[in-house]
Amino acid sequence: MSFQKRLQSNEFVVLAEMHTPKGVNISRLVTDARRIKGRVDAVVVPDMDNGIMRMSAMAGGVLMQQQGVETIMHVYCRDRNRMAIQGDILAAHVLGIQNLIVVHSEDMSQGDHSDAKPVYDLDEIGLIKAIGQLQKGKDLAGFDLDGEPSFITGCSIAPYADDAALAAELSVAREKVAAGARFIITPPVFDLQHFTSFLAKVKELGVPVIPTVFLLKSLAIAQYIANSEPGAHISDELIRRIRKSPDREQEGILIAGETIAALKAMTQGVLIQTLGWEHKLPAILDIAGL
Amino acid sequence: MITAERKPLEELIEYVRPFKRILLLGCNECVTVCAAGGRKEVGLLASGLHMALLKSGSTIEIREHTLERQCDPEYVEELVPMIDGVDAIMSMACGCGVQELARRFKGKPVFPAVNTKFMGASERQGVWAERCQGCGDCLLGKTGGICPIARCAKQLMNGPCGGSTGGHCEIGDDVDCAWALIWERLKELGQEERFVEIMPAKDWRPGGGSGPRKIIREDLAE
Repeated sequence: MSFQKRLQSNEFVVLAEMHTPKGVNISRLVTDARRIKGRVDAVVVPDMDNGIMRMSAMAGGVLMQQQGVETIMHVYCRDRNRMAIQGDILAAHVLGIQNLIVVHSEDMSQGDHSDAKPVYDLDEIGLIKAIGQLQKGKDLAGFDLDGEPSFITGCSIAPYADDAALAAELSVAREKVAAGARFIITPPVFDLQHFTSFLAKVKELGVPVIPTVFLLKSLAIAQYIANSEPGAHISDELIRRIRKSPDREQEGILIAGETIAALKAMTQGVLIQTLGWEHKLPAILDIAGL
Repeated sequence: MITAERKPLEELIEYVRPFKRILLLGCNECVTVCAAGGRKEVGLLASGLHMALLKSGSTIEIREHTLERQCDPEYVEELVPMIDGVDAIMSMACGCGVQELARRFKGKPVFPAVNTKFMGASERQGVWAERCQGCGDCLLGKTGGICPIARCAKQLMNGPCGGSTGGHCEIGDDVDCAWALIWERLKELGQEERFVEIMPAKDWRPGGGSGPRKIIREDLAE
């Protein structure tokens, strides 16, 4: 069953994130995709995520499709104007990509091409509307399309530091849903109790909520997130658990798997982020019982 | 100078219609030079607003004033005694002046009466043309004093493109090709070798690529 149909029929969806290479060596990407084929409902392919120049997400998405893995492709506003974005969206449909997520772009200054000229011809809400307009057979200039594309389009909520930031994120997310977003990806879950109260607020948006489960690859990463992102809610207890573990890598996998298992009863799906450790996805899914 | 053009009267009427008393505020700097928002234009706009509102059966009290510089807090402070007596301010300064008013008088609606256009120079009486985009890393020393960022439609660093014909840009015969101008000027200066130098992709960070810019002069900052 497709990602879209699973969402529509309230089935739990399992998504995994896979980055395209910085270069043309696609062997790892293809191997990772084969490993999880049939075990996840779709792979989310980011595009120049964190401002790092990589092979474009559309090529990554097509590679996934060729492996028989459904794709959800990131689209964003930093690097392309409305002409390029619309052209790519039409191309994505023709190449078999049926799912999009409109995402926030990391500021150019934070990426690896900080001297590049940012575009931002459209903003996220404008882009969601543009996708909707293309689906109705019109481009942004109002001209008729010869064949309209079809997608389910989602949006995301960025990590937030405090209640005020969350309120602002929710307010923007409400506008994104009004503009046409049909599902929402939320930040990594490290504390189920905190997530429960967060989820209640996000559910008010009226679209399926898909939280992120982030693989803590090391104690250092867990400590870094705990210290730098107070909104992530990584507890001292969680840090202790990783520190005391005789196999910290395995502990991270256990934590991710257990989190997914717990979320299964609460949400419409999960997005698993492994940031380069996609080969660990099968082990995480095993723990999660998926 | 920063150039500007007055907005259409219809748009301005809609801004001021809800108010009984407004302060119409000119600026004695750039917008005076480009005849968009100086003392004279304040008077003309005040008359225009009065007449247009009278025609639609309403009236408004317009207090006219022109500051030496609206983008400078020191001069804006001069408005303090006038502000309580008005419901809103309509500024004829560039966007910098409008924002300075909004910053200083938080409880007072501020409306722009002009569209700020570009940094430019006067070509002849009544004609101003873009000359600078404030890219923060001036190239003029390499391009014969002619800016390809402000004056080439494609902002080419290594022009001209195939659309350059007879010294004109493909976007219109009334637009000079910046790179044709650069070539002519470098020839005059005997610096033709500069023309064939390949310039690298531009670093857009000083031009605002990394967000709003600020200059801090440690020797002057308080």
